[in-house]
Amino acid sequence: MPDPIISARGLGIRFSKSRRKKSKLREYATGRNKLSPAYHGNDFWPLRDVTFDIFPGEAVGVIGRNGTGKSTLLKLIAGVLIPDEGTVVCHGRVAPLLELSAGFSGDLTGRDNVHLVGAMHGLSRAELRRKFDAIVEFAGVEEFIDMPVRHYSSGMKVRLGFAVLTQLPHPVMLVDEALAVGDKDFRKKCYETITRMLDEGRTLVFVSHSEADLTRFCKRGLFLDGGRLVVDGTLDEALVAYRGEEVEV
Amino acid sequence: MRLDEATATPPGPPAVAPTRSKTRDVLALLVRRDLAVKYQDSALGYLWSLLEPLGMALTYWFVFGVIYHSDGKGLPLHVVVGIFAWMWCQSAINESTRALSSQATLITTIKAPRAIFPLGRVVARFAEYLAGIPIIVVFAVIFARFAHTGWNLLWLPAAIGLQFIVLSGFALVLASVNVMYSDVERMMRVVTRIMFYTAPIVYPLTRITGVHGHGGLSPWAVRIYELNPFVGIFQMHHAAWEAGESVPASLVWKALIGSVLVLGIGWWTFHKLESTVLKEL
Repeated sequence: MPDPIISARGLGIRFSKSRRKKSKLREYATGRNKLSPAYHGNDFWPLRDVTFDIFPGEAVGVIGRNGTGKSTLLKLIAGVLIPDEGTVVCHGRVAPLLELSAGFSGDLTGRDNVHLVGAMHGLSRAELRRKFDAIVEFAGVEEFIDMPVRHYSSGMKVRLGFAVLTQLPHPVMLVDEALAVGDKDFRKKCYETITRMLDEGRTLVFVSHSEADLTRFCKRGLFLDGGRLVVDGTLDEALVAYRGEEVEV
Repeated sequence: MRLDEATATPPGPPAVAPTRSKTRDVLALLVRRDLAVKYQDSALGYLWSLLEPLGMALTYWFVFGVIYHSDGKGLPLHVVVGIFAWMWCQSAINESTRALSSQATLITTIKAPRAIFPLGRVVARFAEYLAGIPIIVVFAVIFARFAHTGWNLLWLPAAIGLQFIVLSGFALVLASVNVMYSDVERMMRVVTRIMFYTAPIVYPLTRITGVHGHGGLSPWAVRIYELNPFVGIFQMHHAAWEAGESVPASLVWKALIGSVLVLGIGWWTFHKLESTVLKEL
């Protein structure tokens, strides 16, 4: 068996429910704040005790109801959140499409954003120049590329984000709900692109509520509930657990 | 659309973590974008980075030179040298405070060494300071009688180096704490105003220390005043250009130790708060 490309061990992260209220100066003075170990009443763990290995070339679907830690998991894998417990190691660079955003800033034009985000992901200027037209064409935003991104529709933003990230050579791709926003034509293009990337041996971690999308790509499924990893098995096993959960609710 | 050839290779050995030179590339990129965005909607563009300090210098020259008749004819050069260096401090401090909160979308989606965001602001404002150096040279030529150029110009790289260190420290603390408490942003507007007068920027250092024991503040007040690393740094700026300005060795040490200390505190605070900051953004 090859070495895992992503491995999580006892992964957990803690948030405070009402940090702003809690961290008033007065409470610092009385020691009732998050820095004091005695005060844990307001903490909650969006994700805890999560352990798994993902191997190169796998396509893993992450399933769970809203607020069960799916997006948090992707952010931890992407390295844009730091775990409070355990570790997550990702061997290789990650192309993350998190919360429908590739990291575009609203005050910059589509063109500037493509260059900034592409460069921050390690594309050289020459590569960017070479791929720029393909990116814009794939996203279908030719007319709007010199408009600030804050005027874009959410579909346009996701399309452009997806177009940039699929041009990255990174071995791991994280996709969070992105396909839910695109229209039919765009979804078809996405399916083709993702399928091709999987054929190239890349690894996909995919968060979605659409069973059709999940079964299309993923053989393996992780079912998260209440911040715990409940099922780590085939996609069907995870989907069965997810459906069972829904019936109970 | 075809993917690039490079993308067709299956994931081979683990890719190395972003290297130092990669980090520098991203930093350079952020600085370029920062400079491009700052003036993108203004007609005069980069000229503002010169006009703003010149306007300020004119004001202080009017107040101190014309209204209070202080310190003779060398004052314009003194004020210009001080103000241009000060603008770097002021805008770096104010803008680095927002460096993390205003770039949240980028920081929460792309993994990068987070410290580059505040540090980028310090570098970008340094670029504007460099753009202003020709103005200082013009003033040194016009007021040649009060200027002094020779080996003393070596004070300039020393001043710039220390200023980089101390501003980086400030930027790291302010950017991270401001994510939790936006009070910082408001507070710094007042604090920078106070800082402006607690260092020899528009007035000569001798106004504080006195000359041969005459004038100046009482000795204990001078001792406290000199603990501020900016005192030594600005004195170096003046000594680099002006005749009759020098930097006592004790001030050099105090500026060096103070700056390194601020950077150390900044670095420590930033890493301590990094995880919390990422959750808050």
